[in-house]
Amino acid sequence: MTAPAALRITGVSKRYGEVQALSGASLTLRAGEFVAVLGPSGSGKSTLFRCITRLTEPDCGEIFVGAHTLHNAQGAELARRRRDIGVVFQQFNLIRRRTALENVLAGRLGNVPWWRVATGMFCERDMALAMDALDAVGLSAQRHQRADTLSGGQQQRVAVARALAQESHVLLADEPVASLDPETAASVLSLMQTLARSRGLAVLCTLHQPQYAKAYADRVMQMREGRLS
Amino acid sequence: MVSLSDVRGRFNEPRGVLRRLGFAAALLIGVAFYVACLNIADISLAKLWAGLPRLAGWAVRAWPPDFSEWPVLLHRAAETVAMATVGVSLGAFIAAPVCLLAARNTTPSVWLYHPARWVLNGLRGIDSFVFALIFVAAVGLGPFAGVLGIAVHSAGSIAKLWSEAIETAEAGPIEAVTMSGAGRLKVFLFALLPDVMPQLASSLLYLWEFNVRSSTVLGIVGAGGIGQELKNSMDLLQFDRLFAILLVILAMVTVIDGLSAMLRRRLL
Repeated sequence: MTAPAALRITGVSKRYGEVQALSGASLTLRAGEFVAVLGPSGSGKSTLFRCITRLTEPDCGEIFVGAHTLHNAQGAELARRRRDIGVVFQQFNLIRRRTALENVLAGRLGNVPWWRVATGMFCERDMALAMDALDAVGLSAQRHQRADTLSGGQQQRVAVARALAQESHVLLADEPVASLDPETAASVLSLMQTLARSRGLAVLCTLHQPQYAKAYADRVMQMREGRLS
Repeated sequence: MVSLSDVRGRFNEPRGVLRRLGFAAALLIGVAFYVACLNIADISLAKLWAGLPRLAGWAVRAWPPDFSEWPVLLHRAAETVAMATVGVSLGAFIAAPVCLLAARNTTPSVWLYHPARWVLNGLRGIDSFVFALIFVAAVGLGPFAGVLGIAVHSAGSIAKLWSEAIETAEAGPIEAVTMSGAGRLKVFLFALLPDVMPQLASSLLYLWEFNVRSSTVLGIVGAGGIGQELKNSMDLLQFDRLFAILLVILAMVTVIDGLSAMLRRRLL
């Protein structure tokens, strides 16, 4: 018997008014695998990303993360299931006025009592995890720099570190390099590829440039008018 | 090319005529409204003319300003600043939980969002002067009544400004932190609060400065501060002392405005 897939979705659909943004998307993602979802802008890639994370509620479909169901989780259970999915966004989405290290620590929030969050007194283990994650993306030296003073590439590396510090088994990235220059884009993608290989992270990454998908992904899926194939 | 007969033709079109009639009617209503206001407000140039010599006489008697009671004036000015400071901070305490209900992105439910907005509009709609009047009756004369009046009215203004600042917070970082499995409280503390902190502090400073200015009148209803001296001097027709008080108010407001503006520049 094989281990359950890191992420499995079946028949996930989403409709916005007249537009069927996503129709019956299904995919299986295994540990250590880097899968790219390729498609032009407006093809439904972001909707797929938002539905898997339940940042947008899908109309129907099932989502499994490891051995757990995510599609019907609510409240605290939903928060617990989300811990198992690290996310990277096109716009980095760092907290601008916080330092690189604090932004990476944000990945620990699901496991930290609220008073530690309020006082910023994180425990040894959380600090160590965050420092390791920053180290893994090569930004230890910038740890006390405010996020909005970092370059785009550095910000996206911090975002990857935040996902790493979360200790999730799945990494979901929505157009992570669309706002970066080619050189920086390549370095961020190769970082994600390395993490998939070395840590057994299951990586699902949406892209719109075929050459990146070809260069870094183990498997490429196509998204066209809401259909994933 | 549009010929003159074309223009004239359009001018005489039924719709064009209707529109012009409508505009004329609106103008007529506007003028009538304004004339009615002039009448109701009892505007009379004759009265102003008759009163001018009296005003001039007072102006003459106001010079030189009488600062002989300066310790009392300074004490009252300090009272005004203290009332505004304590009142606004108290208002902030009341505003803090309410603004979370009144901001679209933090409210737990629309069933709380709208009632919270109504309460805030109610508090803002009634001036601190009116609240102070009520509190004087409840807790007696003195600055404490003024503090309570400022607190209740400011709570509405602060919560409104704060909820608007919270609504401008970037959604992206909040979503990112939500995906770490953090609940609403942790997301608020870690991601939202640091993002909007400068705006929150800035609006608080603005309200402090505003209340120092506006609370000079609270003394008139017996709610403490320099307004009390202002009323006393006016009642006793001591215009030189009145002039001194106006100068003290002007100095106080200028200093507070400058201080607040400087601090707010540093924040943003």
